[in-house]
Amino acid sequence: MTVAHVESRNETEPQRVEITVTGEIDLSNADQVRDKLYQAIDNDLVHVSLNLTEVSYLDSSGLHILFTLAGRLQRLQTELAIVALPGTPARRIVELAGFGAVATLHP
Amino acid sequence: MPCTRRRVSLNPMPKSHPDSVTDHLRRIEVVTDAALAHLEVERLLEEILERVRELLTADTATALLLDSSGQHLVTTASSGMEEAVRQGARVRLGEGFAGRIATTREPLVLNHVDETTVVNPILWHRGIRSLAGIPLIADGELLGVLHVGSITECQFDDTDVEFLRVAGDRVAMVTRNRLTGSGHAAALSLQRTLLPGTLPEIPGLDMAARYAPGEAGGASGDWYDVFRLPSGWLCATIGDVVGRGLDAATVMARLRTAARSYALDSADPAEVLTKLDRHIRHFEPNMMATVSYAMWEPSLGRMHLSLAGHLTPVMAPENAPAELPDIPVDPPVGAGTVPRPRRTTVVDVAPGTTVLFYTDGLVERRHRPLDDGLALLRDVVESGPAEPLCSNVMLRLVGTDPTDDDIALLAIRRHPAAVQPELTLTLDAVPESLAEVRAALRRWLPTVGATDDDLDDVLVVIGEAGANVVEHAYGPAGGRFELRLTASDGLLEGTVRDHGNWRPARGTNRGRGTQLMQQLSDELRIDHDDEGTTVYLRRSLGNRS
Repeated sequence: MTVAHVESRNETEPQRVEITVTGEIDLSNADQVRDKLYQAIDNDLVHVSLNLTEVSYLDSSGLHILFTLAGRLQRLQTELAIVALPGTPARRIVELAGFGAVATLHP
Repeated sequence: MPCTRRRVSLNPMPKSHPDSVTDHLRRIEVVTDAALAHLEVERLLEEILERVRELLTADTATALLLDSSGQHLVTTASSGMEEAVRQGARVRLGEGFAGRIATTREPLVLNHVDETTVVNPILWHRGIRSLAGIPLIADGELLGVLHVGSITECQFDDTDVEFLRVAGDRVAMVTRNRLTGSGHAAALSLQRTLLPGTLPEIPGLDMAARYAPGEAGGASGDWYDVFRLPSGWLCATIGDVVGRGLDAATVMARLRTAARSYALDSADPAEVLTKLDRHIRHFEPNMMATVSYAMWEPSLGRMHLSLAGHLTPVMAPENAPAELPDIPVDPPVGAGTVPRPRRTTVVDVAPGTTVLFYTDGLVERRHRPLDDGLALLRDVVESGPAEPLCSNVMLRLVGTDPTDDDIALLAIRRHPAAVQPELTLTLDAVPESLAEVRAALRRWLPTVGATDDDLDDVLVVIGEAGANVVEHAYGPAGGRFELRLTASDGLLEGTVRDHGNWRPARGTNRGRGTQLMQQLSDELRIDHDDEGTTVYLRRSLGNRS
């Protein structure tokens, strides 16, 4: 079974959150990951940082979550940044999918 | 190089013995009998091929069927060379071993296979050194090729070909029956998939539809479709692709999708049909379809209609006889040679009016002139709830007669003009809902005494309140919001309510929307508590000083 963990912690500045996802995201758990992400994000936030460095597998179902999230946060005027070290699987996939056009990629 | 070496038959009975062919065929029949009737063509062929391979002590037995273009043979089933099926191996007619058999329609034996005599590298890689094949023909129609292969040279002789030929006739017959059956089944299931299961719910409209496949050969190319556009307009199409079976149903599926695509980009039915005409001329050059394409204004008071060779809809006003309105009809799409300009007719649809669209199968009968069928239909239709109307039309026009052609029927009735003092809507907090809110206001406000100026102003007030909910009220998981308005004695009052968390407006238009809402209302209040946010508004309607 595919397992992913979603952990969020408030940053030192108010209205900002950093969410760290670890594990694998595929079709079997994408909905659960999406729901956990949504639970971790309130509408009063101005900035969401999503750390995917420790995600060892991410496929198109994971990309679907990310693009949907980016679209909704854009409507809420909440910034979204993806943190994924170069060379990690998630970084590779979000770059290939052109995710840089809808969210900033760090580093 | 002539064949000098003869193989030793492993069959206990000599191959030349006349009983042996009969016996072999009996064993083929075992796999073509009713016990296997439920198998798909591919599985059925696999079973037969396995028997054929065993009986001829061959290493491979393979069936290739002609594809829909009629230009290629596609490896459909194999015993001993399954990889050819997995790789979708195909060969052009006239080329290679199988291609030559298909073109000449004659059996062929190759005793020394090499790279120059076969096209398919799989045969070569499999180590096939001799081949025998026959064309699969049913009722004079070429369906494909059946061949057997051996890793031994000079494996097959005339007796084998004779056996193959007889077995091939049976295979061809079974395949054809099965393909025809599955074509019917596929056409029917395509129809089922594509016809809307439930029609969209549009406040102010009542809709119902029917589809009945004709009895002369299953489903064909009738379709209907009802969908909303982002602009708040409503589209209703009904059409009939000329032809029968899977081909017509497939083209129907494509035209339905194409019509939806063009609808997104155009507010003019004539333009949509012009594009559909280009589409069918280019992509389905030998096909033709009649189409009726209608667009309702968001107020529902007017319908914009263009007809491409399609029968005129019946219009039944409330408490008045139905009529077939005089609407110019342009040529079908895909027909003729020179595309001509198409026309859109704007038709007033008064409250309580029913519009009935249908395909020709409803009114055309061999024993009855078309005009009589149309007159009967006109007499039968009267405005009323859509479901019973459809049932009644089918009962009176079809009854118990078997029909040759498909019938599609779509009834759309505008609700009678009863004054509703209250408007309530519950919607998803997404941008697309805002157009729906505006469409509902455009229908409702004029009925409670709002002037055009009132309408313009209230659209902005409610629009801003709705946009605030969409933009601010919920996190990424989203939510819903409710609009509740009442009007009495020229006074409009109501609320826009969400169940989210209030946050200050942000972004470049911060606060400007609220200011606008206040300027356009007599009173505007925004309350927020733990339950959510409520915008309360009050405004007098009619002549304002």
